Amino acid sequence: MRRITFVSSAVAFCLTVALAIGVTAARKPASPAADLPTGKVELQSAGALAFGPAGILFVGDSVGGSVVAIDTGDTKAMKTASINVQGVDQKIAALVGVPADQIVINDVKVNPVSKNVYLSGARGKGPDAMPLIVRVDASGTVTNVSLDNAKRAMVSLTDAPKSDTAARQNPRMLTITDMSFVNGNLLVAGLSNEEWSSSLRSIPYPFKDADKGATLQIWHASHGRYETAAPVRTFVPYTISGQQYILAAYTCTPLVKIPVSDLKPGAQVKGTTIADLGSGNQPLDMIPYKKDGHEFILVANSSRGVMKLKADDLGSYEKIDSPVVPNPPSNIAGVPYDTLGDLKGVQHIARIDDGNALLLIGGFTGAPYAPGPPSGPLNLQTIALP
Amino acid sequence: MLKRKLAGIAVILFLGMTATAQSQSISIQFDGSAFKLVGWKVPSAAPAKGWTSVFVVYAGAGDIPPLLGSYSVEAGALVFRPSFPIAPGVHYRAVFHPPAGGAAVENDFDGPPRDVTPMARVEHVYPSGDVWPSNQLRLYIYFSAPMSRGEAGARIHVLDENGKILPGVFLPGEELWDPGYKRLTMTFDPGRIKRGLTSNTAMGPPIADGKRYTLAIDKEWQDARGVPMVEGFRKNFRGGPAERTPPDPHKWRVVAPKVGTSEPLVVDFTTPMNYALLQRMLQVSGTHGSVTGTITVAEHETQWRFTPQEPWRAGDYQLIVDTGIEDLAGNHVGQLFDIDVFERVTEHITTQTISLPFSTR
Repeated sequence: MRRITFVSSAVAFCLTVALAIGVTAARKPASPAADLPTGKVELQSAGALAFGPAGILFVGDSVGGSVVAIDTGDTKAMKTASINVQGVDQKIAALVGVPADQIVINDVKVNPVSKNVYLSGARGKGPDAMPLIVRVDASGTVTNVSLDNAKRAMVSLTDAPKSDTAARQNPRMLTITDMSFVNGNLLVAGLSNEEWSSSLRSIPYPFKDADKGATLQIWHASHGRYETAAPVRTFVPYTISGQQYILAAYTCTPLVKIPVSDLKPGAQVKGTTIADLGSGNQPLDMIPYKKDGHEFILVANSSRGVMKLKADDLGSYEKIDSPVVPNPPSNIAGVPYDTLGDLKGVQHIARIDDGNALLLIGGFTGAPYAPGPPSGPLNLQTIALP
Repeated sequence: MLKRKLAGIAVILFLGMTATAQSQSISIQFDGSAFKLVGWKVPSAAPAKGWTSVFVVYAGAGDIPPLLGSYSVEAGALVFRPSFPIAPGVHYRAVFHPPAGGAAVENDFDGPPRDVTPMARVEHVYPSGDVWPSNQLRLYIYFSAPMSRGEAGARIHVLDENGKILPGVFLPGEELWDPGYKRLTMTFDPGRIKRGLTSNTAMGPPIADGKRYTLAIDKEWQDARGVPMVEGFRKNFRGGPAERTPPDPHKWRVVAPKVGTSEPLVVDFTTPMNYALLQRMLQVSGTHGSVTGTITVAEHETQWRFTPQEPWRAGDYQLIVDTGIEDLAGNHVGQLFDIDVFERVTEHITTQTISLPFSTR
């Protein structure tokens, strides 16, 4: 894997996200999915999901160190859907024949064309867990997405040969935390279980042999003084005044906007920290939306509930450039937000359409800052965007 | 082993759990891997609504979908084979709906019982030392058996000197396992470590210099089979000063080995290093290329020992250091975890490796 070292400079006083990148320039939207060959989908785990063009579902495989594109064939257009399923984990467990406590749900996405829901997860919680992808339609019916014979393509993120059994034992893993399809490129964010570094990869789609995409080395500063090469936890494409950005939330909670147009080979891009979401927390999912002429971003957090960020001013928002101690109990700085107290236990948010979102909801055992196993059934619930 | 066990159970189930048909001599049998509908004259073609409309198996109760699987006709019996292996602790309900009408034939079966013998324990924790810097970044926990994911947050605690659980020490909701689920990497909340962030300003670092703590891991943590550990784990440590100096390989002490021996090359660091990265970010190279050997990390991660497979030859060697190697606080060569852009603007590294030459004695 190519590594690029970014050299900090004195002018880094400003809030800077510097991306030293070698990314292929943004491409045209992908060609139709009919090109994908048919065969077994080689997944060792099913994690982060993202939808590409024409029903293409991208599945992040952290254990296998790869991303798979699956042609779901699920392209019948629907304007909207209202999906509400109680105990979706219990239904998945029944489908694959395990107790419900042996089902793990890793990600939830809505097919933007058909409005059917796709969940990734695992049958089992240990190393022998089997990857699962299931679909839930508007009637609440849960079906398995077969991995045995599908139109698919795969790109490996590692250099380890597949036949190398020792590679399976390699303790270093890149956990794929989020993916998004932007301008013909699949952006993949990840966390390593060994070194602390940023990992955001841009992979052109359709995948090409031996093209693993380019790794972006991301730096972000906070309050003008200290910088870290922190990993991105989740991100979304976002348009401000006609310009395409990504909003990236870091493990140490700053929310940063990065202009996509600047993601050119060799570029160093200035980004802006627009919010600091507070301590003991990880942002899990974000969806941007508009309502009543205003812009908002809904953020689901591991321990700070669901936040509704007021995003009207993101285009001209003042960067955080001084070490502000916010007033308790908000413990945040930057873009103002409300915490939606009526939304408890939200683990994932997925956009359905301009007015609705899908939530995966379930309680956890343990304290909010140290959540344990789920305390009850997991439910899918459709809400009108607040 | 599991197969043998299943086979044994299958025989018991086969003999003892044959359903009694309410009419005719139709019965449902379970042989440990497949469900058979016996005694029913199977039509030559599947019904219009599929075999599921006449013979279906549920794994559980309530409003649930049927178990995923495939149908075949074998020796005159309709056979349902689940797509996934039969799992311990699952209750199955097989139902036959006679197409001609009449009462359904139904029977219940159990999968093999869960093995509940505790096997897992904590083997090692890194850092292994008793003093952890206040900006400690990573914690590695090595288990003797594969564990279940999803429990780490609730099962790992840092206690203060009074035994009180401290909240908000680790990054919540992120478990980083190795593929075998025997090594867990936990990250101390970086928002509290990184200077200038609101969490750091408001709450301070997770570990305070001079204070005493206990790392406690609950026995109740389940292994991959869903069985609690043999015993819990406790380790006492003290908070030390923050580590704000990046590792400098040129300050390491390299003790060259003797020619013709297989004695280890010994490298002493100035501060404890990240145990996991010591396994792959230091390499030895000679005039004939990379030297193979075994690595031992000692002295609480302040010493790296490399024992070659073949005896050392006379001549020049190099210790190749990946500059990504980290100390306990996530600082790597030439690079602090959090750079102070006012004070360290000229400090940077542009190479990926540093070579430390040594000659055998």
